[in-house]
Amino acid sequence: MKSNMLNLSPRKPGEKRGSEGCKMNPALWIALVSSIITLILSLPFIKWIEIINSEALYKSFKLLPSSIEKLAPKYNIYNILSFVYETRQGSIGLYAMLLLLLTAATLYMHGLFIFRIFKKKKFTPGNISVYFGAKCAAVFTFVLSLGTIGYIPFSNSRFKMAGFALSPVVYIILLLSIISYIAIKIADVKERKYYREPGFFTEFRRNWILFLMLLPTFIFFMINAYLPMIGVYFGFTAFNFRDGLWASPFVGFKNFEHLFKADLFKLTRNTILYNLVFIGVGNVLQVIFAIFVSHITVRWLKRVSQTLMFMPYFVSFVILKVLVYNLFQYETGSINSLLVSLGMERIDFYNTPAYWPFLITLFYLWKNLGYGMVVYLATITGISDEYYEAAKIDGANIFQQIRYITLPHVKPTFIILLLYALGSIMKGQFELFYQLVGTNGLLYNITDIFDTYVYRISTTQPLNIGIGTAAGLYQAIFGFVTIMVTNYFVKKRNEDFALF
Amino acid sequence: MKTRGYVSNRIKEPVSTVAFKTVSAIIAFLAGVICVLPFVMITSGAFSDNRTILTEGYGLLPKNFTLDAFKTIFRSPKDIIQAYLMTIYYTVVGTSLGLFSITLCAYVISRNDFRYRNKVSFLIYFTSIFGGGIIPWYLMYANVLGLKGSTIAIWFPALMTPFHIILMRTFIKGSVPDAITESAKIDGAGHLTIFFRIVLPVLGPGLATVGLFLALGYWNDWYRSSMFSINSNTWELQFYLYNLLNATQAMKQMAQQSGMQLADLPTESVKMAMAVVATGPVLLFYPFVQRYFVTGITIGAVKG
Repeated sequence: MKSNMLNLSPRKPGEKRGSEGCKMNPALWIALVSSIITLILSLPFIKWIEIINSEALYKSFKLLPSSIEKLAPKYNIYNILSFVYETRQGSIGLYAMLLLLLTAATLYMHGLFIFRIFKKKKFTPGNISVYFGAKCAAVFTFVLSLGTIGYIPFSNSRFKMAGFALSPVVYIILLLSIISYIAIKIADVKERKYYREPGFFTEFRRNWILFLMLLPTFIFFMINAYLPMIGVYFGFTAFNFRDGLWASPFVGFKNFEHLFKADLFKLTRNTILYNLVFIGVGNVLQVIFAIFVSHITVRWLKRVSQTLMFMPYFVSFVILKVLVYNLFQYETGSINSLLVSLGMERIDFYNTPAYWPFLITLFYLWKNLGYGMVVYLATITGISDEYYEAAKIDGANIFQQIRYITLPHVKPTFIILLLYALGSIMKGQFELFYQLVGTNGLLYNITDIFDTYVYRISTTQPLNIGIGTAAGLYQAIFGFVTIMVTNYFVKKRNEDFALF
Repeated sequence: MKTRGYVSNRIKEPVSTVAFKTVSAIIAFLAGVICVLPFVMITSGAFSDNRTILTEGYGLLPKNFTLDAFKTIFRSPKDIIQAYLMTIYYTVVGTSLGLFSITLCAYVISRNDFRYRNKVSFLIYFTSIFGGGIIPWYLMYANVLGLKGSTIAIWFPALMTPFHIILMRTFIKGSVPDAITESAKIDGAGHLTIFFRIVLPVLGPGLATVGLFLALGYWNDWYRSSMFSINSNTWELQFYLYNLLNATQAMKQMAQQSGMQLADLPTESVKMAMAVVATGPVLLFYPFVQRYFVTGITIGAVKG
């Protein structure tokens, strides 16, 4: 069974694969030396940005003397954000943040390049992968230094005075990156010609139609996923209407602190616990019902029961709301009218939090029973009849057949589905929770998950956008780390089950 | 084959096997019935007399069968027809554009001679394991692109998902052997020719499956309306229903339009009737298209 999520196809056999270490040549020496110089120049004690004309600048910020004391006359690339933080000038915050991220990426690229030089095993012929690392490092350094140079006029124009100046260190780095890029490029072109490995532009010229076909995808994912990622910056600001989205004061990790004190634990607990119950109970029930359905011998009954169980998956979550209204309404709900007709007391579901974890789980199972069952049923149908025939001849009864044939065959699918689900353990079932609980504040303590919390903030409390974004960022990072760690251990144990 | 095998062996089967099969048939059927029961309750609520519901509550069977609720809805069907038309519009535009982009992308990353297929796949997959969160996403559409209130903001964000792309790629890989595209390439066919004349003609089941997934998503969506709509002309059907459930304001408006007193309006049964009207098409088509979803989910879960 092929289970690799991305299905990264392996290299074709016979493709050249260099196995000897990296051979040094003048271009690589140039790149290595400039890499090392760049790394040294970006050590924290080397200052890239100076504050000139500080008195006038601070006066225009209307700063108190106590906070002026905390400000330094010179800044390195790492603590430029602290300047934004101390002066509460949000308008240069995003720029400074992007510079910081760019710095991290650049350092990583340089590290990777140096590592590749000393690495023994390579996956491309010759030095091509090493050259690629060098080019990445050079490009990132180039962008970083250009960005730093641009930061000066940007912030000066923001404050309408010459308050910032650049140290010459940045120009040195810029120059080094250009030199090393040119040197590497020349060697790279030569080597690619020798090994007949086309570069990006050759590939682009040859297959430009494929790139054109990717254009809608590119635009879509840029708008829908990648560009919004810049917006996580709002998680570090305290939004107010006067300054607007981009100029609101930068507050560092204050929003996260606030969350940590208030809701973070509750939200994490709810999200993870609900998901664990959903995944565990859901998958087990789906397997059980798949086994039941697979044992129905009457054709039409098999089809009908599968169709009926699959049906809830197809209706919208708003119907869930109708359903809950129909069932649990205090005056007119079916359950309460049944209770009354049996001579019992009405139950006030909407004001009793204790019922809701069960109700939410119940409705989750109701909606998803058929979905998972379809997968397990396909696996069970795929088991060869010969196994069962042999078992029957050996005298195994039906339970032994299930125990020793069906379940072991279902196990791989079960594990894969479980792992996929674990990967999204921080993603809440937003529509389910929102339609069931809605804006019923009484139930929040036990039913609030990240997604409902953030949605509530974004639709009703625009002033808390910072906190909402912070919660979303925390959720995304937590989820990402979970996936990475799960995948790492799974891959180590059994490559077939790895997500990617 | 399987069924026939069981039939011929039936005589030899021990009692426990027969008993288990009977029990499993009964349990599975009962579970199926329980799954559908809620729909029965909603439907019977829609056909019940409103006053009876107010005094006795909803039940499993219609109480004092009447068509009042449906008559009320269709007395002044302007709003609901608008919501229906908008939903059909979103579904048609979104599904066709989405299917187009998904198929193109899936074709490219299914090509073995495209050097960057793994990188592109990873960039697409990455969006499903990390994201900036709802608020930056919302601000991107509402503030940066200024699409708040526009219909584009409702169909655009659901055009494609990593799951659909990977599903489609699996379909392409499964239905067009590499050897065929290879030989077409040797015969001088370009990518456009290969795509339109070799891949598309045999991609029917894949297109149907992914298209139905997209269409179902559009039909059932209420979320993007709640985020981006600023007046009720652009509401999706499900959001219209959601609003009707939530706000007495919507009920009042309905009463006004149909020229009735709010007190005379069958408020309870109207909600159920609206649910029936909004879900009807899906459940009507469902038996015929079910198998496409089964294929899609099976392929997507195990290979995707």
